[in-house]
Amino acid sequence: MDTFKRLLVCLAAMALTLGWLWLAHRPPPPVQDATLAQVQDEAARGGYRLLNTAELARLYQHPPAKLLLVDTRQDWEYRSGHIKGAVSFPLEPTWWSRWRAQRPLAALLGPDKNRLVVFY
Amino acid sequence: MAARVAVQLGYKNIYRDPLGFPEWQKSGLPVASDPLGLCDYAPEASAPGPLSGWSLLWTMLGVFAGGLALNLTPCVYPLIPITVSYFGGKSGQGRGRLLAHGLLYLAGLAVTNALLGVGAALTGGLMGAMLQNPLVLGAVALVLVVLAASMFGFWELRLPGGLTQAASRSYAGYWGSLFMGLTLGVVAAPCIGPFVLGLLTWVANLGSPLLGFLVFLTLSLGLGLPLFFLAIFSGSLEKLPRSGEWLLWVRKLMGWVLLGMAAYFLRPLLPEGVSTALLAAVALGAAIHLGWLDRTAGASRGFQWVKTMAALVGVVAATFLAGSWAFQGPGVNWQPYSDQLLAQAKEAGKPVIIDFGAVWCAPCRELEEITFHHPEVVKLADRDFVMVKVDLTRKGDPVHTRLLGQYGVKGVPTVIFLDGRGHECRNLRLVDYLPPEQFLSRMAGVMKK
Repeated sequence: MDTFKRLLVCLAAMALTLGWLWLAHRPPPPVQDATLAQVQDEAARGGYRLLNTAELARLYQHPPAKLLLVDTRQDWEYRSGHIKGAVSFPLEPTWWSRWRAQRPLAALLGPDKNRLVVFY
Repeated sequence: MAARVAVQLGYKNIYRDPLGFPEWQKSGLPVASDPLGLCDYAPEASAPGPLSGWSLLWTMLGVFAGGLALNLTPCVYPLIPITVSYFGGKSGQGRGRLLAHGLLYLAGLAVTNALLGVGAALTGGLMGAMLQNPLVLGAVALVLVVLAASMFGFWELRLPGGLTQAASRSYAGYWGSLFMGLTLGVVAAPCIGPFVLGLLTWVANLGSPLLGFLVFLTLSLGLGLPLFFLAIFSGSLEKLPRSGEWLLWVRKLMGWVLLGMAAYFLRPLLPEGVSTALLAAVALGAAIHLGWLDRTAGASRGFQWVKTMAALVGVVAATFLAGSWAFQGPGVNWQPYSDQLLAQAKEAGKPVIIDFGAVWCAPCRELEEITFHHPEVVKLADRDFVMVKVDLTRKGDPVHTRLLGQYGVKGVPTVIFLDGRGHECRNLRLVDYLPPEQFLSRMAGVMKK
């Protein structure tokens, strides 16, 4: 391998490293609140229904059945403040963690498939 | 997300509130916070008591693995060229004799290391501090540069050579190897520094210096095992075909490794940008020298590949070092300590984090560069916390001395968490590096209810 080829290989590796570093360190995209249409679309695809704060509050104060509130934010967010009575079930928005969460989530929700559950 | 999973699992009555907790809280609806008993004012629970039987065996295996893992820290690098040069001279002996020499060397290293370890544990973490003293750091760096110069061929390595000769003359043969190990244990001792603080309470709790010695001996054996193999290997190095030519190149490689080590040891003494630039420069210099400038004969394809690999590693390391520094985002906004600041925080009911650190302390740097630069930590700290830094680099500030006594700080780093009422949460106290995610949990533990 002559010196020129070696130089090319090294420059390529350098560019790769820089690219990877840039990816790893780039500031997280500003978390813009998804538009209502997007949220509704997601809910329709996911097969669940949406609630707003007032509706949830009504449900919370006069639950028709036993209500289970699930906080899906990270553990430390839950600890620093959550809806009273909610249980913590941290879930990252990746398909891998969703796949892994199936069994523990089923255990949390219990055998009653008609149970009223609200996620937030 | 979770709602979708629940639907997939067959649940029928699934709702989601996309506005979530912030809106709920704004509407004044019932909330709770659950620090899970994280903030506990009582001192930390004591370490586990004496062990026996199987649990002792498993613990020792864990300690041994820990010792092996310590080889990943750069503090063992100075031992590598010394081992190679000592055992390189022993080639031409039988395999069995070489093995015996290697074992004695390892035993010597471990015994010295363990003695120093027990000493440090009983007197209070002296060993970690030893490598944090600017004078020691400077001296070590100087020795490394001088050794590197000899590797580059600027001068012949005489001093350790004389030492080995003296050793082998007076102690002859096997005793020489043992003596070598015992002496070099002093060089290896700082490597177990990171473990000392952790093992300190445990060894003290065991109540038996002998058992403590065994713990440190196991640790040091783990630490020395790779060196043992290196010794055996370098003893049979000259038997390899045509070793003369590329061995010269390997010596230059060793020289660059030593220079890199010197730059690493100087790191705590220099400002962050300068030390990073220095390390990157050494890596780049190594790549250029070893990959292109060096004209060592050796036309074999394999050797050319090795050269390319060396150049590649050097270039990538340099890019990585410089790039990580350049791309780093903003960090936590620290304030210097004052009683007034703490009083204000108490009045506002804000929790306080006090970070006792020093420029020469490696875990402090790690905390600063990784944890205190994590975007979530920075956000939370700026919003809900008063962040106070106490810089102990120079001794003798009366306010700092009072703080050390008041909070019972034994060393750096120490990070203490005060809740909104100004009480310390003893169980949250940190004395080592902690990754950002776990640090966030601790922050949540003291947050305003």
